[in-house]
Amino acid sequence: MLILSIFLTNCSGVKQLEIFKQEVPREKLNLNTPTPLELENLRWIIITSKNADEVFKKLEEQGIDPVLWGLTDKDFELLAKNFARIRNQLKITNDLLDKYKEYYEPEVKNEQK
Amino acid sequence: MSIRLFFIGILASAIIGAGVYVMKLQRDNAILKENAIKLESAVADQKALIENQKKDFQDILDANNKMNELVNVLKKDLEDLDKRFNKKNRDVGKLAIAKTKSIERITNGASALATRCIEIASGSPLTEAELNATKKSEINSECPSIANPKYIPY
Repeated sequence: MLILSIFLTNCSGVKQLEIFKQEVPREKLNLNTPTPLELENLRWIIITSKNADEVFKKLEEQGIDPVLWGLTDKDFELLAKNFARIRNQLKITNDLLDKYKEYYEPEVKNEQK
Repeated sequence: MSIRLFFIGILASAIIGAGVYVMKLQRDNAILKENAIKLESAVADQKALIENQKKDFQDILDANNKMNELVNVLKKDLEDLDKRFNKKNRDVGKLAIAKTKSIERITNGASALATRCIEIASGSPLTEAELNATKKSEINSECPSIANPKYIPY
């Protein structure tokens, strides 16, 4: 009885609880980079009061509906500038994204290289 | 006899006391050594942290400078576009009436270049020709700052 009680008390001792902290890095977002745009080229046709008939006739000959969406020279200038502004904004936003990625995920950038 | 015992007692106490004191000094010495090692390690960690912070500050500064450079060159591209329309009181409308065909050709050429500029801005890689362009005749005149990195305006 004595031997059994000694045996049991020695084997079933309460172990000290060990708590440890380990920093687990946050998962990388790793979103795919958007596919660059592949745009279609437009054909601009200039119509003046002198060549309007000729232009519409040519369109008909080419099987194209003789109808055109028009812009004045001033509006054309504005359209060109608007597109340039959109392009600049796109470039800045993309570069900004690259810079953030370079700074916060340099190893991802290196892996891509 | 009792005096002798008394002195022996004092001597023994002194020897034991000295021994305990030496052991305490040894323990203190060991703790001080450990502390010195810990301090050295902490100083090294601090130095590494400061170096990392310096590198981060430099990276932030570089990124800001590059973004400012980009904004400035893009602004210049926009100003150049404005000049093409209005240089020396140029009236594109009147020019188009006088030289319809050639202005139509120029407009379509510029439109194709501008389209390519948007593709580049969206992340399209530069072609060899774009990368190596250095002359005015070789560049994308709509956005040389982003299309032709080797081109230096002259």
